[in-house]
Amino acid sequence: MKRRVSRMVLAATAGAAGLSILLSSALPGKPGPAIPQPSVRRLTEAQYRNVIADIFGSGVEVVGRFEPDMRVDGLAAVGSSAVSITASGLEQYDAIARHVVAQVFTPENRARLVGCAPGASDPDGGICAADVIKRIGLRLFRRPLSIGEVRAGVAETLSASDALGNFDDGLGATLVGMLTSPSFLFRIDTPGRSGPPGAIDAYSKATRLSFLLWNTSPDDTLLAAAASGAIDGPEGLRAEVDRMIAAPRFTDGARAFFDDFLQLSDIDHLSKDALIYPAFSTSVAAATREQTLRTITDLLIDHRGDYRDLFTTRRFAMTRALGPIYDIPVSQPGWSIHEFPAGDPRIGLLTQASLLALHAHPGRTSPTLRGKAIRETLLCQKIPSPPANVNFAVVQDVNNPTLKTTRQRLEAHLDDEECASCHKATDGLGLGLEQFDGAGQFRRTEHDIPIDVTGKFDKVPFDGVANLGQLFHDSPKVSECLVSSVWRYANGRNVQAEDQPAIDTLNRGFATNGYRFVDLMRTIALDPTFYAMQRLPAAGAITTARATSSKRNAS
Amino acid sequence: MGKASLCPALALAMLVLPKGGATLAADAPTGGPPGTRAFVVSGLFLSGGGDSESNSVQSPGNYDVFLSLLPPAERAELSSPGKRRELQKRMWDQFGFRRMNLWPGDFGGRAEAAKLPPDVKLHQKPTPEQIRAIAALNGFPKDRGSLAYQDQTIAYSSCTNPYDFPVLAKGYVPYEGKISYGMNLDGKVGSQDFTGPDGEKGVDNQLWRAVGSYKQNQEMNDPALQEKVMLSARAPMLIEVSGIDDPRNDPDVTVRVLTGADALVRDGSGKPLARASFTLDPDPSLVNVTHGHIVNGELTTDPVDLHVVFREQIIDNTRIVRGAVIRAKFKSDGSLDGGLFGYTTLSSYYDMIEHMTEDGADNVGISCVAIRLAIDKFADGFRDPRTGRFTAISSAMKFHAVPAFVIDRRAQTASRAEGAQ
Repeated sequence: MKRRVSRMVLAATAGAAGLSILLSSALPGKPGPAIPQPSVRRLTEAQYRNVIADIFGSGVEVVGRFEPDMRVDGLAAVGSSAVSITASGLEQYDAIARHVVAQVFTPENRARLVGCAPGASDPDGGICAADVIKRIGLRLFRRPLSIGEVRAGVAETLSASDALGNFDDGLGATLVGMLTSPSFLFRIDTPGRSGPPGAIDAYSKATRLSFLLWNTSPDDTLLAAAASGAIDGPEGLRAEVDRMIAAPRFTDGARAFFDDFLQLSDIDHLSKDALIYPAFSTSVAAATREQTLRTITDLLIDHRGDYRDLFTTRRFAMTRALGPIYDIPVSQPGWSIHEFPAGDPRIGLLTQASLLALHAHPGRTSPTLRGKAIRETLLCQKIPSPPANVNFAVVQDVNNPTLKTTRQRLEAHLDDEECASCHKATDGLGLGLEQFDGAGQFRRTEHDIPIDVTGKFDKVPFDGVANLGQLFHDSPKVSECLVSSVWRYANGRNVQAEDQPAIDTLNRGFATNGYRFVDLMRTIALDPTFYAMQRLPAAGAITTARATSSKRNAS
Repeated sequence: MGKASLCPALALAMLVLPKGGATLAADAPTGGPPGTRAFVVSGLFLSGGGDSESNSVQSPGNYDVFLSLLPPAERAELSSPGKRRELQKRMWDQFGFRRMNLWPGDFGGRAEAAKLPPDVKLHQKPTPEQIRAIAALNGFPKDRGSLAYQDQTIAYSSCTNPYDFPVLAKGYVPYEGKISYGMNLDGKVGSQDFTGPDGEKGVDNQLWRAVGSYKQNQEMNDPALQEKVMLSARAPMLIEVSGIDDPRNDPDVTVRVLTGADALVRDGSGKPLARASFTLDPDPSLVNVTHGHIVNGELTTDPVDLHVVFREQIIDNTRIVRGAVIRAKFKSDGSLDGGLFGYTTLSSYYDMIEHMTEDGADNVGISCVAIRLAIDKFADGFRDPRTGRFTAISSAMKFHAVPAFVIDRRAQTASRAEGAQ
């Protein structure tokens, strides 16, 4: 397997224009050999930015367009195992790398990041180049460079220095090469030399752990624990996990998970009709995303709260830009926690403007989109896409003189039995959120008709979003969906049948520990299976978390 | 002048917290504190009105007045728009106008750097004594020289000293129409009073008589324009109505007229952003408190002396309106539309004109001299017992306001202190 990976890396390194890596570990239904399979995951844009900031400093700008991340069953983390780099994508990485490296050699950064130069004792700069390549390479590749890699890097630096007439330009060219190397752009497992079959080595462990908990590459302390082999032992691993969870950067890791889980990055492309929703703007959209992440980390990290309380919390992170959307005064200039009083329509995650606006049309609500998003994201259920030939005329006619409310228009649409089967699953939940318009603003009426927010969730009737939030709070499906999603996020792949016992164990532990997200992450980070390579079954008997979940939910 | 009563002393207003929710809790429910509705005024415009015939005669701006004073040949030479700067120079040279920058920077118009006495600190508003010293040091005529352009310059011109240049009022005509927007402030129907557009007799709006013949004021009477233009966006006026039991009919509500320290911004459709939060200006003199009543959705306040800030690019003016009454309707879209009626003090109104400087006056097409003479002539309120002259002029301003939230840190502090006890 190691040879396979090496071949792949070499192939990728060799041809810039033709670079295309297609990996199969995330693809369901494909039979594979019954051997351990290393995971290979492309860095997401957020991870790339975090790593560059960690290594070169937060002042170093990352400018450029990234290859889009791909979601597989809702998670970009799973998609990261299935994406390649196209030729044009590599050009973009190259352009970004050149811009980053140019900043490394500015007068204000050079001493800190390079720290040496050719001199009397090192006339051609070979020693200096080796030092920089080893030091930065360790952080970029998340492992020590081999002697051969260092030699090759030094040789390339000196050769480029000659050609370009300048040591810094030569070393910069080598750094650009490292920043466009698959060893940097992909998190590639290296099998362990010792330990049980299928185990990965200490540096790969450190990498998995760091990206799970901090969404960035390992820091010096974690790399040292990998170098010493400390994290191969349970005590050493526990010490590192506890250190990382206690660090402020764990909040970044949690934010990264929920950003992916709730698909909040889609807010970057969200736009609303300014005449219909004049208070909604690009900056407001960005603030809604931040609000949701801050609300979540306030409850789950800062207060070590119960995940289920997210659906009933009245504590919302708030900033002035969101005051007009929430129709409340905001006294603090920055972010603060606003507590809505009892009886207020704002309660829980389902009433946050991020999700309400994201799953709506530019000029109107969509109980269908909202219901579908809730089912797929928060309940891990699969809703089929609508057929191409659907007639939406009635639903879209928001000024229909007789069908004045969205509920009435949807009910008319459901006269078509073919449509009704799917809408039954989605619209009931979405209609419960109809008191929030397409920008997430509260309203009591639509065309002067009071809005009906009754419905059923799992055959239990609800009246309004407060009821619905409580049902979500009490539903095991909601917490189980979180557990399987965190597992998929951590492992970068969908759940297979053989993984289900581990998921079940996690679910039990999650419930026993009071549904604490921090404890769930810790359990996964300490679980030896998290550091094992995936064993692909001999035949195509792969099932996904969604399939498993759907079966359970069908009951 | 009639009733124009003086309501609660402003100093007292600082200490009075209105009933019913204006003591804003940090965590309010959706819709804001119960029983309270607050608004930010996006536009506050002098209003008069009248038909097109009454508005057909317009008074000239200062440079046009000067142009009309020139001999025919020179007038012909300097009358084209391309010769404006030359015309300005000619006027300044003839009348000895001066304008000098107090601080480094470009404050527009014809200005050079002033020499400053050593005790004048950078960007610190000079005292009257220092102004006199600066004027003397820079060769201003004796006892002349005033701060202008947001106190960034020192000037001597027809705007700072209008009575020095009475000739520049040539061509001025007052508004001669019989109809004007406004309110009968004194309860009388006098010969100089207007009739309101709705037929109300005895409408007092002499400020419109004084300045209603200027094109800019006439244009701003257009409701479409009023909706687009945001005035005093840097320090918007806020109106807070609290203690509301019934938004359609309530015999007693508390009304605070305030000034925001946060800028007014536009929403995605270009209109003023509704439901934004505004922190109050810390200046206690800008907190005006009165009571009012609501009848069929229309608010009418008791008379009160108001300090209304107009803070724009050039202007930083606090208008004092004595015996002011707000009469406005709560509209179904949540906004508040109406008028602010009362006696604007001559000094606070002219302060704005003075700060415009000669160039600013030219930009808006007015003659500082003509306006000064006119408001002094038509003043009709608050006679100074010492001089026997009126100190204020009846006026009417229309406004459009959208829902907003008032952040009153003093009230919050007081509330916290009370809670701690």
